[in-house]
Amino acid sequence: MSESDKIIQEFTQGEYKEGFVTDVEQEFIPKGLNEDIIRQISARKEEPQWLLEFRLDAFRKWQAMPQPDWAHLDMPNIDYQDIIYYAAPKKDKDRPKEIDPKLAETFDKLGIPLKERDVLAGVVAVDAVFDSVSVTTTFRKTLAEKGIIFCSFSEAVKEHPDLVRKYLATVVPASDNFFAALNSAVFSDGSFCYIPKGVRCPMELSSYFRINARGTGQFERTLIVADEGSYVSYMEGCTAPMRDEQQLHAAVVEIIVEKDADVKYSTVQNWYPGDADGKGGILNLVTKRGICKGSGSHLSWTQVETGSAITWKYPSTILKGDYSASEFYSVAVTNNHQQADTGTKMIHLGKGTKSRIVSKGISAGVSQNSYRGLVRMGKNALNARNFSQCDSLLIGSRCGAHTFPDIQSQNPTATVEHEATTSKISEDQLFYCNQRGIGPEEAVGLIVNGYAREVLSRLPMEFAVEAQKLLQVSLEGSVG
Amino acid sequence: MGHGKYIAPPKGEYQVGAGERLDLQYIVLPGESREIEITVDLDGPGAQAHIKALYLCKGNEKVRFRIVMHHRAPGCKSTQLINGIAGGEADVRFDGTIVVAPDAQQTEAYQENHNIVLTENAKVDTKPQLEIYADDVKCSHGATVGQLNADELFYMRSRGIPESEARTLQMLSFLSPVIPAGREEEVEKAVRSL
Repeated sequence: MSESDKIIQEFTQGEYKEGFVTDVEQEFIPKGLNEDIIRQISARKEEPQWLLEFRLDAFRKWQAMPQPDWAHLDMPNIDYQDIIYYAAPKKDKDRPKEIDPKLAETFDKLGIPLKERDVLAGVVAVDAVFDSVSVTTTFRKTLAEKGIIFCSFSEAVKEHPDLVRKYLATVVPASDNFFAALNSAVFSDGSFCYIPKGVRCPMELSSYFRINARGTGQFERTLIVADEGSYVSYMEGCTAPMRDEQQLHAAVVEIIVEKDADVKYSTVQNWYPGDADGKGGILNLVTKRGICKGSGSHLSWTQVETGSAITWKYPSTILKGDYSASEFYSVAVTNNHQQADTGTKMIHLGKGTKSRIVSKGISAGVSQNSYRGLVRMGKNALNARNFSQCDSLLIGSRCGAHTFPDIQSQNPTATVEHEATTSKISEDQLFYCNQRGIGPEEAVGLIVNGYAREVLSRLPMEFAVEAQKLLQVSLEGSVG
Repeated sequence: MGHGKYIAPPKGEYQVGAGERLDLQYIVLPGESREIEITVDLDGPGAQAHIKALYLCKGNEKVRFRIVMHHRAPGCKSTQLINGIAGGEADVRFDGTIVVAPDAQQTEAYQENHNIVLTENAKVDTKPQLEIYADDVKCSHGATVGQLNADELFYMRSRGIPESEARTLQMLSFLSPVIPAGREEEVEKAVRSL
């Protein structure tokens, strides 16, 4: 079967095929959130005292914060006491290093190779996170030869405490916002990555997050540090089982880009979006931020958001180093009852800094899709430059598409441009396809892929095919 | 017409019925701090609203535009064009929202806000927003914050036009789409005073 036939077949079936549950013995800590729970999480992870104190401090700050309600979202009430904050698959005591075959099977089913021999040499190194713990990280040795550290966050705390301590919460402070504070208090696992000076990472690094257990939340923490003149391309993927109740996912990603370093961060977000009536799904409330710390540094965000019942996510860049640059490329698709409020912030502080924002929103069904962005030109951002383009595509008359940009300039030499358009797939385009024997749904898929091409083409090869298919599946049933 | 130095009253709520057309124009000249707050409801099919505004600042003026444009009926059209130049220590904010209701099909709504920042201490904050709940719409907005084009300036100077005159010409051409008829001289005088 050719690739395009497969796409059509999947398009017509169009179900959430990652929605299965892995039946594996798991250990939990009790439901609820208080200082004892945080101490338990910290103890289970055998953390040093300073990290426990960091968590407790964040928790105290979080308690004093109200949940933000400025987003264009109809947010359900989240009972933070009704969530299990830590769930981990049990390990075989006699063979603690072995991966449970059931877990291996799960990731295999999801197309995530956990065994190094399964992949072509030098393709992708994976850190696989299952609920609250990292199952395994592949290619660690190969990477270590180059001095690259790529491991789970928990291991990094144990093996490289100085690095973690030096960079943790420097980009997203614990008190940054409500969900970041919550994450700082209860974060479980995630990935840590350090690229030393002048090293070009020989393969794509990738994290895969899987929620499995019922009644839990996932709170991962990712920290990426690219030292002077280094390069890394990092990818992130995620899925969860289909359930009637909603599950919370509140992550924090911090990226530090030193002088002349280059980081490319790509996400394909495919959390369970809930069923056609809006029941269940993941509440995806994440804080992602990078800092271009040194001069000439570069950070590029690419995201394809197709999943989650609610998405609240603004990958941002602080352009501190002179002549640093950043880009944000996004495709956000909402269908049925999904809601997304996503965008970016570009904070220009350094001289000659440049940023570019390309956001493509697609709404179908009765979904609401918002772009929210901030571009700020600081006093010292001499000759800084920004260009933003935010397009929205509406499919059906019951969905909404919104654009909320905020442009602040305090510098007479800075230039900011923003433009946005909203449109629908025209009858002419559909008719053209139909008369050439392309069915309505397939035609929509074709048009949407063309519309999102500028962003999709920025994705690493491994992701691009996946993302195109996802777009089609996400829009299944939205026509006619 | 002719409320002091600006044309329409600075605060107002307007209902525009079927087939009607509303035109609003504003001028804010140097030395004036203004808060312009308008809400327009396009209530009937085929209603139209067109807003043009111009501002010039050179001191510590505070200029605010808060424009809400509701498209509540099908086939309505609205345009907004707000151009201005911020010098001195001016603080300018534009807050514009277009809301297209679920049944307001065949809507055309355009919103543009262009700003030039002349001095280090001037501040411009622009928030052009779209909230769209209907699918058969043509909506776009654009916002820019920048400075006078150096290439244009060079072109004119290389042809013997003195710098200050060249800058005035640039500013006038930037403002020309929003200068109301009969107010050209007044605006030119204000531009020269920047």
